[in-house]
Amino acid sequence: MKKRIGEYAARSRMTVRREPSVREAVTGAALSFDGKRRRAYGEVDVEAWRRWAEGVKNHLLTHLEDYLAEAEARLEANGARVHWARDAAEAREIVLSLASDCSAGSVVKGKSMLTEEVDLNPALERAGIEVHETDLGEYILQLLDEPPSHIVGPAIHKSLEQVRELFEERLGTTPGSGPDDLAQAARKVLRDAFMRADMGITGANFLVAETGTVALIENEGNIRLTTSLPRVHVALVGIEKLLPRMRDLAGFLQLTTRAATGQSIGCFVSLIQGPSIRPGDDGPEEVHVVLVDNGRTDALLHEHAWEALRCVRCGACLNSCPVYRQTGGHAYGWVYSGPIGSILGPGLLGLHEAMPLPFASSLCGACGDACPVRIPIPELLLAWREEAQRRGLTPWNERIALAGLARMAERPGLYRVAGKFGTRLGATALARKLPMLGEWSRDRVLPRPSPRTFREMWHGGIE
Amino acid sequence: MRRGGPGARDRILERVARATGSRARHPHPGRLRTDTVTDPVATFVKRFTSQGGEVVTPDPHRTPGDWLTGFIAGLDGDVKGVAAGADVPAALQPGTPAAAPADAGAGISVAWGAVAETGSLILPSTGTRSVQLLPPVHIVWLPAGRVFARLENALLEMRPELPAAIGVHSGPSRSADIGRTLVTGVHGPGRCIAVWLRGRRTDP
Amino acid sequence: MNVALFVTCLADHYFAGAAADTVRLLRHLGCDVTFPAAQTCCGQPAYNAGATGEAGRMARHALDVFADCEAVVLPSGSCATMVKKFYPRLAGTGRAAEAAGLAERTFELGEFIVHRLGVTRLGEGLAGRRVAVHQGCHALRELGLAREPAVLLEGAGATVVPWEAQDECCGFGGLFSVKMTGVSAAMADRKLDTLPRVDWVVSGDGGCVLHLDGRSRARGCGAEFMHLATALWKGVGGRGR
Repeated sequence: MKKRIGEYAARSRMTVRREPSVREAVTGAALSFDGKRRRAYGEVDVEAWRRWAEGVKNHLLTHLEDYLAEAEARLEANGARVHWARDAAEAREIVLSLASDCSAGSVVKGKSMLTEEVDLNPALERAGIEVHETDLGEYILQLLDEPPSHIVGPAIHKSLEQVRELFEERLGTTPGSGPDDLAQAARKVLRDAFMRADMGITGANFLVAETGTVALIENEGNIRLTTSLPRVHVALVGIEKLLPRMRDLAGFLQLTTRAATGQSIGCFVSLIQGPSIRPGDDGPEEVHVVLVDNGRTDALLHEHAWEALRCVRCGACLNSCPVYRQTGGHAYGWVYSGPIGSILGPGLLGLHEAMPLPFASSLCGACGDACPVRIPIPELLLAWREEAQRRGLTPWNERIALAGLARMAERPGLYRVAGKFGTRLGATALARKLPMLGEWSRDRVLPRPSPRTFREMWHGGIE
Repeated sequence: MRRGGPGARDRILERVARATGSRARHPHPGRLRTDTVTDPVATFVKRFTSQGGEVVTPDPHRTPGDWLTGFIAGLDGDVKGVAAGADVPAALQPGTPAAAPADAGAGISVAWGAVAETGSLILPSTGTRSVQLLPPVHIVWLPAGRVFARLENALLEMRPELPAAIGVHSGPSRSADIGRTLVTGVHGPGRCIAVWLRGRRTDP
Repeated sequence: MNVALFVTCLADHYFAGAAADTVRLLRHLGCDVTFPAAQTCCGQPAYNAGATGEAGRMARHALDVFADCEAVVLPSGSCATMVKKFYPRLAGTGRAAEAAGLAERTFELGEFIVHRLGVTRLGEGLAGRRVAVHQGCHALRELGLAREPAVLLEGAGATVVPWEAQDECCGFGGLFSVKMTGVSAAMADRKLDTLPRVDWVVSGDGGCVLHLDGRSRARGCGAEFMHLATALWKGVGGRGR
């Protein structure tokens, strides 16, 4: 996926203006997810759960080298093979060479943000391999050649009507088909892909160091099929996805689903230790785990970015975010959108590459309250903004204005005069030509200053 | 053979160690205390059915195989063939003609156990995975004494002898990816039916 | 009780009437109100933009201005949050204790009336009025003031009408509304589109009121917005000039 992060302001504006159906679909879906998340949080002692989960991930991230080594040893003992990828290119190379080893002509995929992050599909296709996204939402987007717009519901920006038209054209469904018929049409196509596939590719929600267990949560059953039917299973796992122990997994499986969709657990959870090597066991003959860095150690080394690595990719912050809800994920211009994307972006890509994402938030704080692992998202957004100011990555006129504001604020007399002059000027026709006020006035009526300032009223006496 | 750029593993681990060495190590917070489950069986039934699963008690006066044959004959959609997992004893298989998992109208499995707090069936890969996933109806024998209150209990009990894979099934396959409307049976089974297996009948 | 008013920039220039109503209301409730003349901006625009150094200078200026005040009241949830939550981080070495002290003595208007003065009954002046409350994000999530505005409005006789989007951000966010103007306006639209039929939309945050009102007028929505201080002063049955 080509990164278009720098165009956020313009693209978000365009989505709002020109694609009202996106805003409607995303708002509806996100509010529905968010309501379910709140209800599911209300059923348990969620503050205790969140503090626990934060603690486990902090423990993991501050002992990560030990747990990575343990996971690797465990997986190898289970008969799985472990590969390490420093960046996206290495991750792609590893998967391509594994595909070539088993002469894969066709692969099925379970939904994985990491494979989007490393741009895996185009690489497989260039190598002449058929790629089938099997999550229903991802399948819709593959037909449309669009990236996902949400971590959990990749196609939430599409309406029923749009899917209906797409399937009519591509799958030959009858006009006016309902969601059931449309889903059955997709099931048929994808069932065939499952039966033919040589390789299944997934991400992972968690990797338990103690047992070498790759855990995957889903509702459709496509991930279970992807990890069960093909002869080879490849799981791409971000190095931050580990959990220390099996016992921890039990809590994380439940908390993640409560945060994501409000369910007590996903309809299907796959816990994969390795290939079927023992008699009587069933499943792939080869299981490969690719441990991917791709910027994660940069984030881990950063003073505050490391906290974002607690993320379990539940999408709760997206659903709770009034900014995300207006546009959906595409406006953000890369794989991770919404509040978490705006702090992971600078962490994984570097701040320069991720501008202006830390500013794509009104700092309303809803995301921080929703996060199941208590990532202080608003504080991290502020920390990135601070770094952006320090490194001169913000517009020069804004920096001058803020420095000017601080200077004036230390000189009450000057502040009084400039404030009065500025606000009065801001109410004239000239304001539309000024930076900032001009922007504001594109969509809003400019505010009228009070006839007398409060300061003047105070000196005149308030009765 | 391990793949990846030369030294990728060492380079990643070296950077990770540098990062963890630069900040205070956090202790593990211990166990998560989830709510106490007072009646695991009742909680399992409530949770599993609220997630779209079905729970059935077979007729105790018939053998499990006979009962299952009749039950399958009564299912909607005229089930012509069934597929049973490799670990399903003959006594728990129906008289219905056998079919390959991809063609079967129903799949028959035996659960390792169940979890009350999440309403889940635990299906190890020592059963046949395609039987658990391909047929539109999945019928799962559930030993009545094997309902664990909490997911943690079940996972810890399995830990010493983990199979290649475990499927935790908590209801039928579903999706709301099309127009936010809930659809069942998208890829996996559209019906997931747990059937109580009482103590002595487990022994064929 | 002696109360120093920290009026805030927006109230000084755009809600001078509401600031005056704050003074009247506090006097009505038995407070002696002072207005330290050297006060300026609390520093929030700089802080939210990441200009922490500038924000710190502004915080230290405010620490000087309000050093000896028994209590400080702001007719703004977000500026109150600045003083209460963020000054202690910004004050810098040597002044942290001072900032913590000021944070403790500082209140958002509604918070001050309900929790410091212990007053929830103000009068009957709003009897028959239907109002919706817009909850400012900082007051709600940083200061935990979820119920206070509604309690006071009801305590002044108003009927507070539930609003689906009452706890959602209006899209102002200071510089956010000019940097990301399109999406910011859409956020205001979501609020306006779900607004129930009411006489006034009331908020303790002038910035949100300016933003929602500016968008409402651009779209011709016809909704009427009012600062909490003005609504409560009407509730007491007071007038002013």
